[in-house]
Amino acid sequence: MRTISKLFLLAIIALVAGSAAFAQSAPPATGPNLTIGLVMVGPYNDHGWSQANYEGVQYVLAKLPGTKLVYIDKANSADRPGTTVSQLGESLVAQGAKLVIFSSDDMTDEAIKFAQDHPNIFVILTSGSQQWKEGKNYLPLPNMINIMGKMEYMKMVAGVAAAMTTKTGKIGFLGPLINDETRRLAASAYLGARYAWVNYLKKDPSKLTFKVTWIGFWFNIPGVTSDPTQVADDFFNSGFDVVISGIDTTEAVAEAAKYTAQGKQVWAIPYDYARAIDEGKGVSLGVPYFNWGPAYLNAAKAAMNGTWKNHFEWNDPDWKNINNPDTSAVGFNKGTLSKEASAAVDKFIGELGKGLNLWVGPLNYQDGSVFLKKGEKATDQQIWYLPQLLQGMEGQSVSK
Amino acid sequence: MQVEVRGITKCFGAVRANDDISFTVPSATIEGILGENGAGKSTLMKILSGFYRPDSGDILLDGKKVEIDDPADAIRQGIGMLHQDPLDFPPLKVIDDFLLGKRGGLLPRRRAVIREFNELAARFDFSIDPESYVDTLTVGERQQLEILRLLWLGARVLILDEPTTGISLPQKEKLFATLKKLAAEGMTVLFVSHKLEDVESLCNRATVLRQGRLVGTMEPPFDTKALVGMMFGKEVPQEPKAQPRMGGTVLHARQVDLEGIRIQIKGVDLKVRAGEVIGLAGMEGSGQTLFLSACAGLAQPVQGSFCLDEEEKDMTGRTYHEFRKRGVAYLPAARLEQALIPGLTLTEHFILAEGMKGFFIDRKKSEELARRRISLFNIKGRPDSPVESLSGGNQQRALLALMRDPLKLILVEHPTRGLDIESTIYIWGKLKERCAHGTAIVFISSDLDEILKYSDRVLVFFAGKVTPPLDARTLSVERLGRLIGGKDWDRLETEAAHA
Amino acid sequence: MRDTRANRLLFQIGAVLFALLVTVLVLFLAGAQPFAAYKYIVLGALGSWDVVTNVLVSWVPLLLATSGLLVTFTVGLWNIGIEGQITLGAVFTTWAMRLLQDSGWNPTLILVLALLAGILGGTLWALLAGVLRTFGGVNEIFGGLGLNFVATALNIWLIFGPWKRPGVASMSGTLPFDRALWMPIAAGSSRLTPATLVMAVVGIIAVYAMIEGTYFGLRLKAVGKNPKAAYILGIPTWQNMMASFAICGVFAGLAGAVQVTAVYHRLIPSISSGYGYLGLMVALLVGYRASLAAPVALFFAALNVGSIQLPIILKLDSSLAGVLQGTLVLFVMLGNGIRARLIKKGT
Repeated sequence: MRTISKLFLLAIIALVAGSAAFAQSAPPATGPNLTIGLVMVGPYNDHGWSQANYEGVQYVLAKLPGTKLVYIDKANSADRPGTTVSQLGESLVAQGAKLVIFSSDDMTDEAIKFAQDHPNIFVILTSGSQQWKEGKNYLPLPNMINIMGKMEYMKMVAGVAAAMTTKTGKIGFLGPLINDETRRLAASAYLGARYAWVNYLKKDPSKLTFKVTWIGFWFNIPGVTSDPTQVADDFFNSGFDVVISGIDTTEAVAEAAKYTAQGKQVWAIPYDYARAIDEGKGVSLGVPYFNWGPAYLNAAKAAMNGTWKNHFEWNDPDWKNINNPDTSAVGFNKGTLSKEASAAVDKFIGELGKGLNLWVGPLNYQDGSVFLKKGEKATDQQIWYLPQLLQGMEGQSVSK
Repeated sequence: MQVEVRGITKCFGAVRANDDISFTVPSATIEGILGENGAGKSTLMKILSGFYRPDSGDILLDGKKVEIDDPADAIRQGIGMLHQDPLDFPPLKVIDDFLLGKRGGLLPRRRAVIREFNELAARFDFSIDPESYVDTLTVGERQQLEILRLLWLGARVLILDEPTTGISLPQKEKLFATLKKLAAEGMTVLFVSHKLEDVESLCNRATVLRQGRLVGTMEPPFDTKALVGMMFGKEVPQEPKAQPRMGGTVLHARQVDLEGIRIQIKGVDLKVRAGEVIGLAGMEGSGQTLFLSACAGLAQPVQGSFCLDEEEKDMTGRTYHEFRKRGVAYLPAARLEQALIPGLTLTEHFILAEGMKGFFIDRKKSEELARRRISLFNIKGRPDSPVESLSGGNQQRALLALMRDPLKLILVEHPTRGLDIESTIYIWGKLKERCAHGTAIVFISSDLDEILKYSDRVLVFFAGKVTPPLDARTLSVERLGRLIGGKDWDRLETEAAHA
Repeated sequence: MRDTRANRLLFQIGAVLFALLVTVLVLFLAGAQPFAAYKYIVLGALGSWDVVTNVLVSWVPLLLATSGLLVTFTVGLWNIGIEGQITLGAVFTTWAMRLLQDSGWNPTLILVLALLAGILGGTLWALLAGVLRTFGGVNEIFGGLGLNFVATALNIWLIFGPWKRPGVASMSGTLPFDRALWMPIAAGSSRLTPATLVMAVVGIIAVYAMIEGTYFGLRLKAVGKNPKAAYILGIPTWQNMMASFAICGVFAGLAGAVQVTAVYHRLIPSISSGYGYLGLMVALLVGYRASLAAPVALFFAALNVGSIQLPIILKLDSSLAGVLQGTLVLFVMLGNGIRARLIKKGT
């Protein structure tokens, strides 16, 4: 009865929330106990992006006493019709979460709404750039941090592994949806592949085919996205013998294993999650992966001790050991590589560590217009907001 | 087999449909069960055939008390029931329909069964092709099929519920001959009817029910007056036939060709005049229904035209609703399927038929309207009674009550099918009242007496052929029967020329 | 057995108990604790003002869809195409918002126009199903299913094509509208929009009044129960069917408009959220009686919202809510069937 009368009262004095003023300072420190809420776009055990995030938080729990995890996975409107991501975030808050991680670019709108509606909750929007002062979408929210790893490097490594392995000179890139992030990652893979093709194999760059096919989302949604299994099959059936996956799930590896078992030797490179390498033995060349643990650990500490400040971070690998779980934001787990390819991958990582930059001109956009003049180095913003694929890559640059 | 019931009582709500009924029918007897609608005949028969269980009372077969669980159990114990609407499955072949209900054997021995079927049919002089489809049969043939099926399943008691409605005269004669033959062989027949003449010509005995109770049993020679008295508790007067008073044209069918699903009619020419009654006679499925519905715009002619009124307004191709606006009403035979809306109350029907103005329903006004009509048409029901709760006769009265005023033309399929004498007379009284005010009536009936008694002119249909209008006053039952059976058609032309 | 209110109630309670029992069994087989699951569903739907508002937010489009379906069910139509009608409502709303968002007009005016556009979209799509049925002889179930596919395809094409975010095509939908163009949110809540609540409540009352109290509603009933007889009684059949399609389209379109303006603030691929199908279930469950639609829809919305707790706390799949809803409908219909048989046997 009380709720009903309360409802009536509210209905009568309804106010426009949009005009409500937002808090200007970070939420108060939580002290020695922190419940972390994690919202994942796919299943928590997807062997991909969501699982990498899940394990990142598990790392925090192991390293930081007093922390607890509540999570909700499959937070997308197809799997949970009628719900909104901000509503799911609130469910986690109801379970005690003081820090909520929205772990997908796909949740940007809802994460912003959530951060605005709940100024006392710490918010991490993984892979977003709203708190980047120099970014294009700067929207300062004192309770929000954006975290991303410099996956570009590891995609380049993947490109090297692919170029060193392909027999047909045709590399396929199984892309998710088209946005800044996916464009720059596809371009990075291409840059790595071309570098190995030209500098290690001494081949004509025009003989290298690099084709991107986008399925429309981070994972398969039957009837809505293209079927990634089908797309991988199309690659393998049309002469592509290495497929680099840019999506959150492992269809490319499964299909490569299937084709190889049928006697057609092909390879794939999964993505996101370090142990995705365990699948597809013999066909997986390695996996570029995220290691969210260290960054999430820092953020959790900041929330607990009151040093939280909204910011954007784009974290480097630890060049001393890109697979160090405590220090490297991104890594590359080598899989089935030939001796030459393996050596080339190691050599390339070494060169990157010493400062090799592939984002240097001359580089043209896919449509032939100039991206970087000769000798010009790309800024972080130019890379982050890459507006097109690069010249030499096939596939859609922008969604039509 | 001897059938005995003892103290059968069955209540539906507050209504005692059967109230302590006891009687015995010896084997080799044709027992007529008489009574008006709602007297409890059907309930009693449904109890005997396992559809209902009695609240109390016993059933004894050959002196042995039995429990009948369901219709399948009834036939196992030798009781077969032939329903008013044959319970067959039209999309099936005759032989498959025949096989239904047979126990045992997943794969019936078709060939052997076909032989048995043909032998059985030959015994009764039925000619049904076992490989034809059931929906190509006439009602009479379906009845024959059902009788054969029940016999084949081992029925030793045959219950027939109003079997003579809907079949032609020759079919009726054949049915009676068959029943007499079966009785002679020891079959017990329970013949449920409200038609006195049928009972008189067929039955060895007649038992009369009234308001759920058994009022008496009579042996031949039957005293019609006494039977009517037992059935209704009073004698029902018959109205004398009045001279028609004919006015101007209300409907003109000009050289109309019609095509139905299995029937084609060619070149019907008919002028219906205000105040007259035209009967459409013929075996069921001979084209009467097609013609009648075309008169209302419910079917469209492939050739020719339909015109309304004195000014001969061409209505060809118009919808029923346009006919309706011009004072034409159509009353289908299947009341609950085509004419009334089960689930809605009488009041709601009156509201709908009246086409009330306004947006919100005026409950008070509607109920007043319903009460007025209910009392005017002597309907046994309340304004809030759902139509399906009414008896057949009361449903028909409701249909009449739903007709608007004034009407120029009423088209009726089987106005009194399945109704008792009292209702029949009442319905025709109401219809004739309309005629007196200038309304013309065209009706279909399979009841030859009804055709001759109420029509001014008669059209006979036979396999798509239509006679010119015949004067009912000079038409004899025999002649009509022969025409319906397809005889004497060649002589018509010459007669028509003289008429 | 006799047809009484008491035994109808008895059967319905029995059906609910059976449905609960079956779900308990399912949970048991899944190795979960059934009572904990129910407890958390209840807490998740009623435990705080916040979750109650979430239930109400979900209730509004569901009740709107159900209201529309009651009208089509009354006239005897299975308007499965309601999903597409909701989607088209959302598409038209988005279209209007996109046209007007930079016009500088009063936001309230823009919102009203957007709602009207949504209503128009839903109505047109429903009329299309009606035309297919009336003039094309396509059963409304098949026509509706086909139109649902077309609507989904159109919606996705718009999101990934003409209405995509600059340079980005994403499942997360079109660019969200400015906060000024959101349906006003009640103070103290992060998503409850009283205006839509009023629409849903007024809507179901209007449908109830229309079906039970107007000549039009009675004519719809007549056509629904016996179209042949209704025609003979002088009631236009297809015109009334079209009218009921249109009315259902109005409600479906409004539901779609609410999804865009009050829930997601943008167009997303699964914008209908399955409320059309869920609405069909509600309508079936209440036996097409408008008087029960509001509480049962509320119950379904509560189940949906409450079940979000299951994955969070018990690590169970939240589709349990769907299992419960499905079995509920099944058992209630089964109960009605058995009851009808018993009543028939007794008469």
